[in-house]
This record gives sequence, C-alpha cells and structure tokens, in this order.
Amino acid sequence: MSATDVEPGLSPGTSPDGAMPRPPGAGGARSRLAGRGWAVLAGLGFAAPLAFLVVRVLGDLAGLRAVVGDGRLLAPLARTVVLASLVSVTSASIGTATAWVVTRTDLPGRRWWRLALPLPLVIPSFMGTFALLSAFAPGGLFAGVLSSIGITSVPQLRGLWGSWLVLTLFTYPYVHLVVASRLNQLPPSLEEAARLFGRRPGEVFRSVVLPQLTPAILAGGLLVFLYTVSDYGVVELLRYDVLTRVIYASRLADPVLSLSLSLSLGLLALTVAVLERFSAGRDRAAGARSVRGLQVPLGAWRVPAVSLVGVVVGIALVVPAMVLVGWVVRGWLADSTSLLLDDPGALVAPLWATLRVSVLAAVTATVVVLPISVLATRRRDRVATAASTVVVAGFALPGLAIALALVFWLRGTALYRTEVLLVGAYVVHFGAQALRAAEVAVASVPARIEEASNVLGVSAWRRWRRVELPLMRPGLLAGAGLVLLSVMKELPATLLLAPNGFETLATRIWNAATDAFWTDAAIASLVLLALSGGLTWVLVIRRADAL
Amino acid sequence: MTTFRLACCTLVLLATLSACSSSDETLVIYSGRSQNLVEPLLNRFAEESGTSIEVNYGDTADMALLLSEEGDATDADVFLAQSPGAVAYVDGQGLLAAVPEDVLDAVPAEFVADDGNWIGVTGRQRVLVYNADLVDESELPASVDDLVTEPYRGRVAVAPPNGSFQDFVSAMRVERGDEATSAWLAGLVANDVATYANNNSIVDAVSRGEIEMGLVNHYYNARFLDENPDLSSVNHRFPDGDIGALVLPSTASVVAGTDQPEAAADFVRFLLSDEAQRYFADETFEYPLVDGVEPRTSLPALADQDVPEVDYAELGGDLTGTLDLIRDAGLSS
Repeated sequence: MSATDVEPGLSPGTSPDGAMPRPPGAGGARSRLAGRGWAVLAGLGFAAPLAFLVVRVLGDLAGLRAVVGDGRLLAPLARTVVLASLVSVTSASIGTATAWVVTRTDLPGRRWWRLALPLPLVIPSFMGTFALLSAFAPGGLFAGVLSSIGITSVPQLRGLWGSWLVLTLFTYPYVHLVVASRLNQLPPSLEEAARLFGRRPGEVFRSVVLPQLTPAILAGGLLVFLYTVSDYGVVELLRYDVLTRVIYASRLADPVLSLSLSLSLGLLALTVAVLERFSAGRDRAAGARSVRGLQVPLGAWRVPAVSLVGVVVGIALVVPAMVLVGWVVRGWLADSTSLLLDDPGALVAPLWATLRVSVLAAVTATVVVLPISVLATRRRDRVATAASTVVVAGFALPGLAIALALVFWLRGTALYRTEVLLVGAYVVHFGAQALRAAEVAVASVPARIEEASNVLGVSAWRRWRRVELPLMRPGLLAGAGLVLLSVMKELPATLLLAPNGFETLATRIWNAATDAFWTDAAIASLVLLALSGGLTWVLVIRRADAL
Repeated sequence: MTTFRLACCTLVLLATLSACSSSDETLVIYSGRSQNLVEPLLNRFAEESGTSIEVNYGDTADMALLLSEEGDATDADVFLAQSPGAVAYVDGQGLLAAVPEDVLDAVPAEFVADDGNWIGVTGRQRVLVYNADLVDESELPASVDDLVTEPYRGRVAVAPPNGSFQDFVSAMRVERGDEATSAWLAGLVANDVATYANNNSIVDAVSRGEIEMGLVNHYYNARFLDENPDLSSVNHRFPDGDIGALVLPSTASVVAGTDQPEAAADFVRFLLSDEAQRYFADETFEYPLVDGVEPRTSLPALADQDVPEVDYAELGGDLTGTLDLIRDAGLSS
C-alpha cells in the first residue's frame, strides 16, 4: 500500500492546514477519554526512570546539597549543552541535505545511497570511534594514504572538535530518516508552481520546501540533541569532559553525585523538549501528497551532491567498515585468539536475539506512542502533551540510569530479567524516536479528511484504517526504523536487564572489544551492519516504496 | 503487509516462550570479566562438573551496581570482578558470603580479603607500555616517580577513568599517604601528561606512535600483539618493588543470598585449580596466583619478582577519596 491508495473523493488537500486543533467529532469524546487513559498509563511507564532518580536523590539531601553546591560541575554541564547544540545544528543540516538529494533529485545511485545513509546509526559509538581513531589518528591505517596526497598533519581527533565531528557522523541519520519520510509526503504542487514561475531549484528548496520541512527537521534535531546528551562512548574515547563522563566515573564512588547528574540530564531534556514544542516550527505541517513527488534535475550540482553523500557515507560507514574488515583479515592471518573464527555458529543465537528484540521494541514503541502523538498533535490534549514530554526525557538519560531504575522498580517480580522487561526498557529509552516521528506523521494528515469523512458519514475506524494510517505510514516506519537501529546497538540496559545468558550482537561486540579481542569485535560488528542493512532494506526502504 | 504482521506475531510468541527459563538448579554467575576472557573456562567447568551455568557479563563496576541495587532479590550465586575496588564496594554492603575455607591458602595471603569474602584468582600487573621505535631502553624509568621529571615531559599517558589506574592510585595512598599521592598526581599534570579513556586506548596510541609511553595493565599489550604481531609496543616492568609494578588481583566471591552454596564453592575451587590457573596463564596472559603454576614463558613468576607489598583489602576502602584526589589534581573533572 502507498499513499496513492487514498479513496476517491477523499483526496487529501494540499494547503498547510494539517495541524490546526480540531474539535472532537461525534463519538470523539469517548475515544479521547480512552486515549487519555492510555497516555496516563504509558506516561507513568516512561516516567519510571525519572521517578527512580528523584526518589534516590531526595533520599540523600545532604548529598544533593553537596552536588548542587559543587561549582566544578557547571563546566561539564556547559560542555554537554555546547556539544549537543553544535551536533544538532550540523546533523540537522547534513541530514536534511542528504534526505533532499536522495528523495527529490536525480542523484545517480539513489537506491544505494538510501540504503547506506541510515546505517551509521547502528554502529556502537565506542566501536565506531575506535575504528575512526585507528584510521585517522597519527600513525593510523590511513596516515600513509593521506600523506601520499599531501596531507601530512591531520588535526587530532579529540576534545570538542573530535566529538562534534564523530557524533555528527553517527547521528545525522536521525534527521535524515525523519526528513526523508516527510519529503516523500510533501505535495509537489507548490514546488511545481514555484518552478513554473521560474524559480531555480535552490530557491524552490529555500522558499517552498524548507518551510514545510521545519517540523521534521526540528524533530530530528531534538533526537540528535538528546542522543548527544546521553552518549558516553564517543566523549569518553575522545576525551571531552561532559556530564556523562562524570556520571560514569562517579557511579560507584559517589552514587548520589552520579544519579543527581543523570536527573539533571533528564531535566535538561524536559526543558529542551518543552522549548521545541512551543517553537514556531511545530505548526507548519502541510498536507500529504497523492502523486509522485517532483524530481529536480541536479544538472551542474550533480558533482557537489554526489560528493556530499559520498563523503558522509565514506567517513561514517565505509571507513569504519574497512577498518573492521582489516581487523578480521589481520586476525585471521596472524591466527589470533578468537572465539568467533573458531566457532562462527556462536553468533547465531545473538543474531536471532538481536533481530527479535529490536523488531519487537520497534513495533511496540510505535504502537505505544501513536495514541499519545495523535492526541497531543491533533487535539492539543494537555494530558497527552505532558505524556509526550516525559517520553522525550527518557532518551536523554544514560542507558545505565534507565537500567538501574527498572531494576529498582521491578526486582523480584515475575517480569524481572525477562525479554519482556528488556523490550520495555528499550521502549522507555527510545520511545522518543518513535514519538517524534509519529507526531510529524500525524501532523501531516490534513484536517479536511476528517471533515470530509464526517460529512460522508464514514466511520472513524474506517477513515483511520483506509486513509489516515496509510498517509502516516512513511513517518511511522521512519520512527520504527530509528528505534530498530538504536536497539540493535544498545548496550548498558541490555547488559544489566537481559535474562541471564542472553546475548545480542552488541553485547558480543562489547565483550570482545573491552579486552582488545579486535578480530571478534569486528566480526560481530560486521554482522550487525549486515543485519541492519537487511532490515533497513526490508522494513523501511522497500516498504515505503519511494523512500 | 500480511507477511509482516505474521512475522511480528511469530516474534511475540517466540519472545514469550524464551522468557520462561532459568531453573533453580542453575548456577548464576555475574561476571565483571569479559566473555572472551573467561567463557571457554566457564564452559569447561560446566562440562566437567555437570553443573548448568548461566552467565551475565558486564563491566565490573556496573555489575557491582547491579548487585547492590538487586540486594536480596538477586539471582546471582557468584561474582567475578576485575578489581579489588569494586568487590570491596559490594562486600561493604554485606552482599557477599565467605569463600570456601579450604581454598584460602591456595594463594598468597595478601590476595585474600580480611573477612574471607573474596579471593584473588589472577594477577594483573601495572606496567609502562612504550613504543620501541621511539623510546630507547636506556631512557626507561626506574620508578613511577621519574615520570614527573623533565625528561618525561609530554611523553607519558595515563587513563584516569580506568578502574586499574584508580586502584593503583589507591595503593599509592596506602603506601605513601594522601599528600605524597596528590603531589605525584599534580606532578603528572604539570609534566603535561596525556589522558586517555582506558588501557586499550593507551596501548593503541602507543603502538601507533601518537604517544611514546603509558601506564597500563600488562596483558593489554599481549592482547594487542596477539591481534597484530607487527606492533612495536613493549611492556616495561618497574623494578625494585616500585609501586608502579603493583599486581592487582581479579577476584571471585560467593554472593550471600546464593541458593547454590555448594555449586558456588565448587566453582571457586575450580577457578583455583591447576587447570584453570593454567588456562589464565596461557590464554589470557595473566599471572596465575596459585603457587607452583608458572606464568607464560615470556613473564617471570611473581614469586621471582620484587613487587610492592600492599594490603589489597585496603584498596577498596576509600574509592571516593581516590577519585577526589584524581579530580583535584586536574586529571579529570
């Protein structure tokens, strides 16, 4: 099914009227009540980590006072905000540009670029960073190549600049996927009109396309901000002292400090989420399209466009993959100690487990947040809006805090240490990704569909199934795809909450890398990349036909 | 769409099925030592003893936090830790039981907790890894105290967030007191020491030539050479009982709430058997702690070395104080 299946007579409008608050129609009150109940229940689940942090922190007021009074913590906090802001801006720019060139232009090899561009998201950050360091650091794999083309001194990959660059390369897919799915829905009529009036492609993009993309860009940018705030692997390896480094360094020695700082990340996320919610861009969503989008001939821009996606995919995906392949070959030639070269079958169980929990979490997250996003976006419901803000905060908390919170609330129960709990933890941690993508999707369904179906006496359920859901599908799939890729690389919650003996590809990678078993770490990473490539192809690209 | 739905339903079903497991007969091991290091050995134990085991791998500090958060509700029967600091944290909360008495004499007394609640299994020695292409043997320091002097300015790396570096600083506090330790840390900073995330990053940077030398645990370089024999990184042991040659034990302990006390005790005994000690020596490049088991041929036996004598039970005592010293010196924030 695609958006072209829209029933005759209900053809979606093209004017930017999507997100206007609407009065509930006949029978809407009951469904709204049900939706609110759902929002409250789900919101409570999503609030569990924050509640745990509050309980713990308030349980030790003296400790809290010491933390609040400690001026040394202001610098890491400021660094967190600076880094997250910088990464958001660059990721938003790159993600928007890549999304536009692969959906709206005659870029050569679009199909392959569409497959490759989301994949850097699945590379575990500590692994990707280590691979990039091996490639580009002084004396690294590519030092010879670089010096042969006249580049003898590469700026060291470290500190703010290094973290900014690496995090941008690993997070732009958040923006890319959300924006690409939105671009696929945009009605081409405005662009066509602008083109007819003689505007150049660049101008059309700026004056017509960009304003309609703003909600999607903001949604993706927010996800990038929250991910950066919670990331530990990149900043640790590149030595930029942000809050997560203090959180991890003090987790055993000074738990109150560690938990208070986790809580402050959650509060920072709440603040940013509220700011973003009230920003102007939220109301600009326009209608969905019913015909194929406009394709812009790149002409002279062909070379710059190919260079852009080539450089991004090259550094974020191809270079790490080449380093990984290099490690496997090296280990094989040197007959290194390797569990996986001896017994490749050991990866079957982790592969299946990864597939299972990531698909389950992606589907569950999308289903759980959809009612919230409908109520919050379409009805401006206060309860749902509050719930959606809480959902967003879960993404900014370090995985460790999410895991400890669920241990705290559920230890000793029948759920504890089951796959159900693990999937629940993923949903709590990554629900924000599905939510923000869903909100963009919901906002893109024009209000007049509801009006028209009310006039025609079509039932709400039928309208929802036959018209609205198909229109939202690309956006919902993009959100599910984000959750899927995030879960596949998730580490801290998996290590602490999985059933005993449960392994994923990510835990195999961590286990190998932590004691420098690079051959095994690389094999598991390559399998993870292949699996996520396959899933991206099947679930996101092939299904959302034009995406 | 139908196939997609079908696939989802199947997944849900399978997940529910696989959620029901873990019988009461199983020995549950929380391992702060990585799968690649110990899994073959743990499987051997399961096979030889006929005990079914389930292992939960993770970072030692995270496993310690998990045990402390789970408290009495834990499934864990045994806890394997990378460092005395983390195991002391768990022991401090009353979550550990005594290891079987008959093994206490298997290792030198300093590698056993005062309360008998943990026992050292292997030794991990602190060393200075250096790049042999960049550093001449004559330049190598005789003591960690040399590292704060002018000839070593800007040439040395340390890993302040790493548990083993922190344990080393704690040992220095035990041996020399806080003031001297602070002075040494401040000396490092004044001497433009480079900071890295962990042992791996330091060995990697040294082998690439990004930095000339760094303080790490001995077996990381052995691991790197196993992966890539062409590297020119070499370990240097500090001589004459210098605190820089500290040996840190990895530990085994029995969890207080275990429902498998006998299997847990058998497992600890197994770790201290000649077979297991031989495995650690040959496969993980560590020092066996049991008398009479020789380390790999490239390493001198601990008994033949002049290593510093430290009360390891004291190391875990005040991790907070150690972190404060490291932070106040300006090595981390």
